[in-house]
Amino acid sequence: MYIEKPRFSCPLGGAMATANALPNTVAVLHASQGCGGNSIGAIMAAAGHMGSGYCGGASVPTSGIGEKQIVFGGVERLQEQLRTTLEVIKAELLILITGCTAEIIGDDVESAVREFTAEDPNRPPLIHASGAGFKGNSYFGYDSVLQSLFRNYLAPADVKKKGTVNIWGLPPALDVFWEGNLVELRRLLEGIGLKVNSFFTKFDTLENIRAAAEAELNIIVSPVNGIEAAKVFKEVHGVDFAVYDLPIGGKATEDFLRSVSKRLNLNQKKVNVFIGTEKNLYYHYFSRISDSYCDLDLQRYAVIVADTTYAIALASFARHELGWVPRLVAVTDPIRDEEKPAIIDRFRDVLPSADTIVAFETDTSRIETRLAERWPRPDGSKYYRPFSPAFVIGSRLDKEFAESIGALHLSVSYPISNRVVLSRGYAGYRGGLLLIEDIMTVVLGNR
Amino acid sequence: MSYLHLKVPPTRDERLKPCNAYGGSMCNLAKGQKTGCLSANGRTFAQATGCQLTLSMAMAASIPNTVVIYHGPVGCGAGSLGLAGQSKLSQLARGNNDAVGRVWMSTNLSESDVVNGSEAKLEAAILEAERRFRPHAIFIGNTCVPAIIGDDIDNVAQKVQPLVNARIIPLHCEGFKTRFVATAYDIVYHGILRYLLSEDPEREPLLKDEAASIAYEQKRKRTVNLLNVGSMGYVDEVELTRLLNAIGLEVNVYPCFTSPEKFVKVKDAALSVSICATHDDYFVEHLKEHYGVPYVLNTIPIGTDNVRLWLLDIADFFGIREQALRVIELEETELRKALEPLLPLFKGKKAFVSTGEIRAGAQACMLENDLGMTVVGIRAHHYDQFGEIVFDNFKDRDDVTINVAANQPFEQVNLFRKLKPDLFLGHGNSNVWAARQGVPVLPIYGPNNSYLGYKGIFEVASRLERILENPEYYRTLGDTAESPYQETWYDQDAYAYIKQTQQVA
Repeated sequence: MYIEKPRFSCPLGGAMATANALPNTVAVLHASQGCGGNSIGAIMAAAGHMGSGYCGGASVPTSGIGEKQIVFGGVERLQEQLRTTLEVIKAELLILITGCTAEIIGDDVESAVREFTAEDPNRPPLIHASGAGFKGNSYFGYDSVLQSLFRNYLAPADVKKKGTVNIWGLPPALDVFWEGNLVELRRLLEGIGLKVNSFFTKFDTLENIRAAAEAELNIIVSPVNGIEAAKVFKEVHGVDFAVYDLPIGGKATEDFLRSVSKRLNLNQKKVNVFIGTEKNLYYHYFSRISDSYCDLDLQRYAVIVADTTYAIALASFARHELGWVPRLVAVTDPIRDEEKPAIIDRFRDVLPSADTIVAFETDTSRIETRLAERWPRPDGSKYYRPFSPAFVIGSRLDKEFAESIGALHLSVSYPISNRVVLSRGYAGYRGGLLLIEDIMTVVLGNR
Repeated sequence: MSYLHLKVPPTRDERLKPCNAYGGSMCNLAKGQKTGCLSANGRTFAQATGCQLTLSMAMAASIPNTVVIYHGPVGCGAGSLGLAGQSKLSQLARGNNDAVGRVWMSTNLSESDVVNGSEAKLEAAILEAERRFRPHAIFIGNTCVPAIIGDDIDNVAQKVQPLVNARIIPLHCEGFKTRFVATAYDIVYHGILRYLLSEDPEREPLLKDEAASIAYEQKRKRTVNLLNVGSMGYVDEVELTRLLNAIGLEVNVYPCFTSPEKFVKVKDAALSVSICATHDDYFVEHLKEHYGVPYVLNTIPIGTDNVRLWLLDIADFFGIREQALRVIELEETELRKALEPLLPLFKGKKAFVSTGEIRAGAQACMLENDLGMTVVGIRAHHYDQFGEIVFDNFKDRDDVTINVAANQPFEQVNLFRKLKPDLFLGHGNSNVWAARQGVPVLPIYGPNNSYLGYKGIFEVASRLERILENPEYYRTLGDTAESPYQETWYDQDAYAYIKQTQQVA
């Protein structure tokens, strides 16, 4: 089915962003010449202006297969590109990502990868992830890189280390705040006594990533992203996984930490002390806005437009931290019909009447229609209740919609081209405070 | 050279045999281009670049009241995601208060479509685009996947056309078909020529007013088509219109930011005025051949030399050279006076320029001849016969490095280590690699700034002065940014990975 203004790219785009976010890792594309260039805009300008990073942007090595290779095969060109990449580029891990054209013509990439390593064992490891556009979207690309990493890069570990965990579920770029989020989640998990591998932050190293199979548990902070990879991890390395929602703010973060500590049988005393200190600090700052909140009535109707992971997290945040009233939560990533009930269930934990508030809608111009189904349009009557005061927490694509209903707006979900995101994250206690600051700054921006 | 009878126009590879990989002197490049022996060059190491689909759809989407449909897997339109705001700004700038920015859809092809074909999906998307947006035109951009599996988008367009009001324009812009992204311009113009220039009988006035017809006819003789480009600021259109008005001409601007129903008038003009042969040669030649509208195409009005050449070409056509020379003299005198205080700062500064062929040559000229800088290197995305005039200034200059490359920052960083330029004027996505070496950067084009005409010279000079006044940000990047390139790479020849097949293509 067609999608209007889809808020994601193809597997190749997602895989490229994911590979680029791993430490000292270089993505090599085996694809048409423009696949990289097309993805650059989606990854950089649309992800809070996150930039080329170590070897992204225009520097991504690309085989650039054309008509000749489509007819005669592209393996030779790929082998040449891999060889020259090592001569020009410094990399400790290479991730080969195949695009539509390479996969349709059926290049035997796996053999090429094996040969490459066999030729010279001193070469940096090379692993392959599928990025063919017709296989899905950029969430799939994220999963595809993780799967390959788990299968082909991690060192097998028969003995698991108590108190060691891996965390994932937030795809680089598609979660514009992924790095800040992971840094905060890492800090929190370390706070309750765990050793954490988060793959995509400056605190992660390839050495630690390679040893990730030693973990006791994999923590997935998304009900949809990276789940297939978690299954592969379990199958290959025997490590179980637990799925949580992305925690934003005081209540969700405490719930998250308590669930994790229960699952891992952590020392409750230590956990209580950590949560106590963090909570104390959180509510110390949290209460600063309270005078204005009361004097100015800063409660709002909320519309949330985001992918599954963020939609649940933001709906929970709006209701339980801001004390707002969500009226429409539009889930924008494509969800198969059979998966929808499970997602609605997760919403039920955070929203009363989730069934009537949540809508699955991939098409940008239809968000407005979804709201109209939930809140009648003006009918000219004297006592029509306007949808006001309202606030849209969505992406840059929802700014015009917000304006059209007279609501204020903040870009939090992808794409975000109208904000700059460096180290900012919204997860956890620190992130919750930042999100309150950012939203309230918009609400009070004209004062 | 008419190709309008074809569904698919030829690629630039076939039609112009340009070069896309070269390093050396201008003199050898010009020779190689003439013999065609450089057109088969490639690279054994290559980096991400653009494709004709992205550029075609960017150009098509700049036309208001249109929907662009990417017929392919969902990622092919992803480049649009970062541009939603800018597209709207560019339309707003031109007084289009109803601007909605770029409206795009994806047919979102899946694995089963690859097996079973995807024409039905395209059909559904077209009908929905019509129902939802009521556009004047719907552009279909064909991508690699449906082209390989053999979808017939022309057939779908033809079949659905009677059901929709919008003009359906199929574009064959599959990325793998060409190494030259500029083929995109031919593709979109091909669509415009085939589908938007025919008279709409419903728009014919019921009563013909003879006096109005005569007046229109009179005006037509002094009206030119000014051909803009999608990345061009409205300020540049205003400046060029001002200059053309000054020599007594009327101006209509096409193709970007002009609503599809207005294109029919493009046939009525006395002359088509291009600002970039890379962009327009296909269009103006066809307009001439099919509708008898002659054209000028020699250069881009950047820098006094090329503004002069551009204006005089136009003036000569209308036989008003004297008038144009008076305008030029006045403008140049005024400009020289304005530039004077800035010149000491620029003297002897080493500049490096990188972008599309025509703009690169003209901008390099401007830096030397108007600002007194020294150009140490020029990179052009490709090189073809249209480069000759703008690169004339550099034809005997062994001190200027010429590199033909679309992005390929690895060659750029190697050259920069050796040439140590003081300043870089470059294309999007390549600027940052210069900045990461500590070199201050001015983007060489941009939708919100002025570059063309006399005003453009002054504006670029002013911005350069500002950047040179405090290049600290770039210096900091140079000191702190990590480089992915091997140290040994810098010791090698920058062109070590250019493959010279020596075979005439």
